[in-house]
Amino acid sequence: MNSSVENMAALLADYNNSDSLIYGIGNIGRQDDGLGWAFIDWLEAESICPKAELMRHYQLHLEDADMISYKKQVLFVDASKNPDLEIFQLENIKPKMDFSFTSHAISVESILATCQTCFDYMPKVQFLTIKGYEWELQQGLTIKAKENLEVTTKFFKKKHLLNKTGEDHGKT
Amino acid sequence: MSKKLVIDPVTRIEGHGKVTIHLDDDNQVVDAKLHVVEFRGFEKFIQGHPYWEAPMLLQRICGICFVSHHLCGAKALDDIVGVGYSTGTPMLPTPEKMRRLGHYGQQLQSHVTAYFYLIVPEMLFGMDAAPEQRNVLGLVEADPALVKRVVALRKWGQEVIKSVLGKRMHGISSIPGGVNQNLSIEARDRLLNGDEGLISIDDVIEFAQDGLNLFYDFHEKNREQVDTFADVPALNMCLVGEDDNVDYYHGKMRIVDKNKEIVAELDYHDYLEHFSEATEEWSYMKFPFLKALGREAGSVRVGPLARVNVTKSYSDSTPLAKAALERFHDYTKGKANDMTLHTNWARAIEILHSAEQIKVLLNDPELQKEQLVLTYDQSMWTGEGVGVVEAPRGTLLHHYRANEEGNITFANLVVATTQNNTVMNRSVRSVAEDYIGGNAEITEGMMNAIEVSIRAYDPCLSCATHAAGQMPLVVSVLDSKGKLVNEFIR
Repeated sequence: MNSSVENMAALLADYNNSDSLIYGIGNIGRQDDGLGWAFIDWLEAESICPKAELMRHYQLHLEDADMISYKKQVLFVDASKNPDLEIFQLENIKPKMDFSFTSHAISVESILATCQTCFDYMPKVQFLTIKGYEWELQQGLTIKAKENLEVTTKFFKKKHLLNKTGEDHGKT
Repeated sequence: MSKKLVIDPVTRIEGHGKVTIHLDDDNQVVDAKLHVVEFRGFEKFIQGHPYWEAPMLLQRICGICFVSHHLCGAKALDDIVGVGYSTGTPMLPTPEKMRRLGHYGQQLQSHVTAYFYLIVPEMLFGMDAAPEQRNVLGLVEADPALVKRVVALRKWGQEVIKSVLGKRMHGISSIPGGVNQNLSIEARDRLLNGDEGLISIDDVIEFAQDGLNLFYDFHEKNREQVDTFADVPALNMCLVGEDDNVDYYHGKMRIVDKNKEIVAELDYHDYLEHFSEATEEWSYMKFPFLKALGREAGSVRVGPLARVNVTKSYSDSTPLAKAALERFHDYTKGKANDMTLHTNWARAIEILHSAEQIKVLLNDPELQKEQLVLTYDQSMWTGEGVGVVEAPRGTLLHHYRANEEGNITFANLVVATTQNNTVMNRSVRSVAEDYIGGNAEITEGMMNAIEVSIRAYDPCLSCATHAAGQMPLVVSVLDSKGKLVNEFIR
């Protein structure tokens, strides 16, 4: 995991409200591409962030810029092919037009930039990526991807429980 | 020294494509080909699955035209269980109208994506503009108000799909013999009148007209380029109803020539008797053609341009689209229109046509009725079915056979992009000759002109080869000995 993760103290507890969206990106029919949805499955199974809107989609669309314009904060979760990534990474996203658009693919940065430009609003956006390995037409995560998901969820659960103390964050 | 140009991958299309252009020592085009270099095999892995899974699984070929695949599969299942059009059984009014509503919603959404996101930026900025400008994100920076409208249009189209199929992508509504739900009053009123964050149907129609006006402006300013760009011949094919007008959901397959004379008309259940498919070692995508006319003369164009060429008119219930269609027909004085960039004109007309058709359906009380499924029993089982619809990109066919246990034993999908394979190759050749031939220096703008000719068809190479994955296009330049001398990869 990257060192910046440890510094992001807020994490999931801050998402437990109706102004927040947690958005899993991926395809459960393409092996480890299902990691984004698996993270949402875990949130539901553990009743973490029950007040947040949870969503699963295959890919981002430009109209997601409209959708996030109604939210105060958004956490996107996706699988990563990045060979340099050890297990998972959490980033604060800044708006950036990267001109990589096709009707099947657009970046989180571009979605945020579109939201800022077209809707004159910019929610707080974080992007959690979990390392995957195989992407063929087959259901189910690989063993290594499952292990990465477990490490990620354990980390977030620990952070989540720590943040519960004191304030009315995320009653689980 | 002769050269070979390769565009690999072709960008802003659905699927992985590659273009190869061979130049001779004088830089004249000797050959130009669009290759499709991926393969998926959905037809194979559906075998052994229960027949009722086919419309659910096969719609996952595509994240854009999944409703078309779903409906095509549903029509084939109607046949298989013995209540389809092959048996002479008419669909009940409510389920047929629900299927049509989902279909028109997807057509609107898909055409809006292709037109505004992929094509309008090129219309506004020019095909030789910098790549970082001539795409939708360039449009976001240049005209955020327009993009805001486009986003609203797509969102509304998604709401139609969600209201009919339950989800904005890969939902399920059609079942053998009908549909699983009607349209609620609440959903109808939201779509008609709008809601918080959702525009109304009248806004949709207004925005669709704005989109058409963008084409008129572009055409007015660039008439020569638009009219001469890849003006290539092909027969035109689409489904037509009893009134001789295009029917996006059901009808006869009609094929017309340059003079709009009917050269063939067939029940789509007999498709294989009339069509054959050629193959080439350089592409996974097949080349269908009418057997009676042979491969060159019998190749058809499908999709928006073909449909507006084939249809006589539109219904009086869609007056704005009808008037737009008349203007389109007047432009070529009754002849079929072969101008590839006019596909975008046709697409803009069909956005408006979809919106007006949806408005008609939303005001139809039949959509709230309860008779949703035709009843059938085992004695009616036929074990074979064919479904055809006019998908956004053109005529789409699903053909299945199932054994007595109800498992799929055979599946064949003929998608619009495959039908367009020959005419797309003709377009690539034409543009290569006009924009690249004779030039010692190949510019990025010239290479993009090749892509523009392909993008006009909005090809879904994922559907055509039934392949998944990322969607790039590559162009390369090779000399007469096959040595790479230039390459553009995006």
